[in-house]
Amino acid sequence: MDTYFLMQLINGLSVGMIYALIAIGFTLIFGVLNVVNFAHGEMYTIGAFAGLVCINMIHAPLAIIIVAALVAGGLSGIGLERIAFKPFRRFQDEASLKSRAMREATLLSSLAVSIIIKEVIQHFFGAEMQTIPGQYMLNNPIQVGPLSLSSGQFLILGSSILMLGGLQYVLYHTRIGLSIRAISNNPLGAKYVGLSVDKTIISTFAVGSMLGGAAGIMVGLYYGAIFPTMGFTPSIKAFVAMVMGGLSSIPGAVICSLILGVCESLATNYLTQGWSDMVAYSFLIVTLIFFPQGIFGSRRERV
Amino acid sequence: MTDNKLVSHSVRANLLVLGLLALVLGVVPGVLSFLGKSYYMQVANSALIYCVVAASMNLITGTAGLMCLGHAAFFGIGAYTAALLNTHFGLPFLLTLPLGGVAAGLAGVLVALPTMRLISIYFAVATLGVGEIVHVTLLNWVSLTRGPMGMQIYEPITIFGHQFTGLLSIYYVIAVLACVSIYLLWRMNHSYFGNALRSVREDDQCAEAMGISVVKLKIQAFAASTFFTGLAGAVLAHSAGYISPDSFQFSESILILTMVVVGGLGSLPGSILGALLLILLPEVARGLGDMRNVAVGVVMFLSILLLPKGIFGEVSAIEVARKLFNSAWDGRNAVGWK
Amino acid sequence: MKRLFTAFVVMAVLCVASTALAEKIVKLGYSLPLTGSHAQYGEVFRNSALMQLESFNKSGKLKGAKVEIDFQDSKSDPKEAINIARKFNDDDEVVGVLGDFTSTVSMAAGRVYAQAGMTQLSQTSSHPDFCKISNCQFRNITTQAFEGPFVVKWATGLGYKKFAIIAIQNDWGISAATNFANALKKDGGEVTSLEYFNPGNRDFRAILTKVMRDKPEALYLCMMYEGGALLLQQKHQLGIDVTSFGTSSLYSPKLIELAGPSADGLYLSTTFMPDSPEPHVVAFVKGYVKRYGSFPNMFAAQAYDAVGIMLAAIAKVGPDVTRKTLRDAVAATKDYPGVTGSTSFDPETREPVKGLARMQVSNGAFQLVN
Repeated sequence: MDTYFLMQLINGLSVGMIYALIAIGFTLIFGVLNVVNFAHGEMYTIGAFAGLVCINMIHAPLAIIIVAALVAGGLSGIGLERIAFKPFRRFQDEASLKSRAMREATLLSSLAVSIIIKEVIQHFFGAEMQTIPGQYMLNNPIQVGPLSLSSGQFLILGSSILMLGGLQYVLYHTRIGLSIRAISNNPLGAKYVGLSVDKTIISTFAVGSMLGGAAGIMVGLYYGAIFPTMGFTPSIKAFVAMVMGGLSSIPGAVICSLILGVCESLATNYLTQGWSDMVAYSFLIVTLIFFPQGIFGSRRERV
Repeated sequence: MTDNKLVSHSVRANLLVLGLLALVLGVVPGVLSFLGKSYYMQVANSALIYCVVAASMNLITGTAGLMCLGHAAFFGIGAYTAALLNTHFGLPFLLTLPLGGVAAGLAGVLVALPTMRLISIYFAVATLGVGEIVHVTLLNWVSLTRGPMGMQIYEPITIFGHQFTGLLSIYYVIAVLACVSIYLLWRMNHSYFGNALRSVREDDQCAEAMGISVVKLKIQAFAASTFFTGLAGAVLAHSAGYISPDSFQFSESILILTMVVVGGLGSLPGSILGALLLILLPEVARGLGDMRNVAVGVVMFLSILLLPKGIFGEVSAIEVARKLFNSAWDGRNAVGWK
Repeated sequence: MKRLFTAFVVMAVLCVASTALAEKIVKLGYSLPLTGSHAQYGEVFRNSALMQLESFNKSGKLKGAKVEIDFQDSKSDPKEAINIARKFNDDDEVVGVLGDFTSTVSMAAGRVYAQAGMTQLSQTSSHPDFCKISNCQFRNITTQAFEGPFVVKWATGLGYKKFAIIAIQNDWGISAATNFANALKKDGGEVTSLEYFNPGNRDFRAILTKVMRDKPEALYLCMMYEGGALLLQQKHQLGIDVTSFGTSSLYSPKLIELAGPSADGLYLSTTFMPDSPEPHVVAFVKGYVKRYGSFPNMFAAQAYDAVGIMLAAIAKVGPDVTRKTLRDAVAATKDYPGVTGSTSFDPETREPVKGLARMQVSNGAFQLVN
């Protein structure tokens, strides 16, 4: 065990951290609220582009740029909910609620919206990676003994912990968290006891997409890569991590993101990088065979 | 129901089938060859291949309710099996076609065995994983699949010494195959087997209690579906003459899923309409230049917004099957396997 | 329906009549990715092609006719490229085709073009088998069989003998990496490790950490400029201080914009030198910057010349050009004075013969070195 493996472990954890950062918002909407949403990657892209526009227009400090990304993410989350999800709640009868075709309709509407967002961004900004002024890059080397870390890794780690802690608190210690969990469990029942389904869903979308937007700008600055299709690959990984972690558990999703990242990086050591994805996905399948409800999944009512 | 009505139903059913056959085998190729544009013919060929893929995916994702996010993998396995057998062992099309299907079917069973315990989204993610594993394997196992270089198939489709080189003759090969596979899938969908699958989808515990072997049924459905997808893959390999791993990645699985959902989950005519829509639309929208994908997105969105159960929903499909074919298939008296 | 049909007929007649009255139109097809994950390259190709086309039509080299280019979006998808190929084949007015971007896509379409005897000139497809499809395939890019040994000679001259190669896992990356590795071994050098990464990968830290364990003297990077910029940045952050060499695909002003000071010291070979004092290069760079507000990269230059070669061939044949005569004229191209150097096609293999130059990034700019 030399520093080499330690370094590879850190490389893996930093990749995993990025998946985790996206997975947190994604899990809140998809897993906890139980709404099939395939447009989360685009919230991430929108956040990154909003931050970039801010950098180029007003040269603001980093904190303000992150706030801008949060706002942009939140607003587009609300817009997304209005356009792609609300129309499908007009069917409230029991047959529609149980119909599989109805439940999977939002899959397609969100997918369609994500295609449109991607194409529109590409139309205005072009498909290539955007240039980011050097001083904003979160890639300054920090030497800790023989290990090379970067400033972005610390920021991403810090904000993941903050988001995770905050969300756990909101979900389990506040009224709004209770209503989110109630609606995910039984929308009709929640309505009968007087919860405002619309309001809760919209605020969940706003928060989840805000986190997505912030993740977008931070990862964009960390890699120095902001481009219209940037949300695709990481959101697949976040999706996988969410399910591995048991769908409704945000800490589970974070831990599984880290596992995926470390898997990929350690696999690179023995195989070429091309095969390392395979290791991560094999791990997913093995996990699901032994834990059919995900590693941290609670025994949810069968749907 | 009087006997008179029975006869008229069966006549109507026969007329419908004949009409569709005439359309696919007569009118479409006739009009296309009259227009003399190989471009239209090419688009028709790929549309037909995707009709088979979407119809076969509908059996698991629609009828059996198992959301599959890795269907392109089986499409790819079929295509690569056919291509490898043809180029390395010189097997003729008549052998590579069924073998491509069988290979995909076997892979399907292999995937289905351990994942059948999983429900809803867990199953979907497991198939996503399988799809990525197959794609990564096709891409990185360079010594077998030539990796990103892709595979070329130089030999044209040959059946009993007759070479199908022209696009029109290739169209007929694909069309006959599509008609046969879709007919078989339709029979599976609207029979005891299909109804059992629907009961499993709606409530698997209840179905189990009624004496249906849920796991066995799911595996059978998976095997059948992946078999037909593999056939389509083999035809794709032979008719296109060139395949590469890029054609079988995650976005392709999503495309196939989109076809099934746009058309209507659980409805076979719906998935065919969905496949036609999603293959033809990008070509029709070519005139819009850079904005054509936006147009595709908007049409997808509007179709699901206005018709959330699909263009041709499951209920309508079952109705058609009952009204037209029930008597023709003598289904009224059929309680068990027929 | 009948009325629609009559309308069509009238329109068709009008079209024919109007073209008969006006100048004759010679049509070229261009199949390129304008949407999807490779759209950034397609945009650049279209920019260059439009520039070249405009100046050609203004110059009056082709008397009594005008050339038009029909751009079709392939999304970098072989399935779509085959459809486009059929479309171009059907259109009797199209005499030649440019594109596509990746070899995979170009080759899928290439077989279709071969059936119709359509000239296909790709600006970038460097797959070794591309030109072997039929005698209709041409390319305006040197294959890696030429570039690899060139860089090896240069590097060994500078005293670097132990290389780690990092290459993208696609047809181009494989041929770039293996050609370099073979040439290096022949020259007595050593390849410490050869790592492929999947297209779309953005994190190179694991790969870099791994290859550095074998202590190479230098890295050879076979990738596109966007991936290259990310790799150089992460290499800098990890504190890895070895020299890097790269393929000509890394040449883009965007590389320096994205990578910043991390790009300093990178050596690369190139066919396109924007700083070249030759008047036609200066004119191209100036015109491009004026029109599109950014500096042209290697891909822009490559497409500019590909279109130029095609147009020069048309001018040679005259307005009555057909697919057959165009193919022969393109095959006979000799010493075409392009911005990527003078180009000739080998009469046997139809491979382009070009000169390569050496460049180094220093102080945030590409500088020619000798």
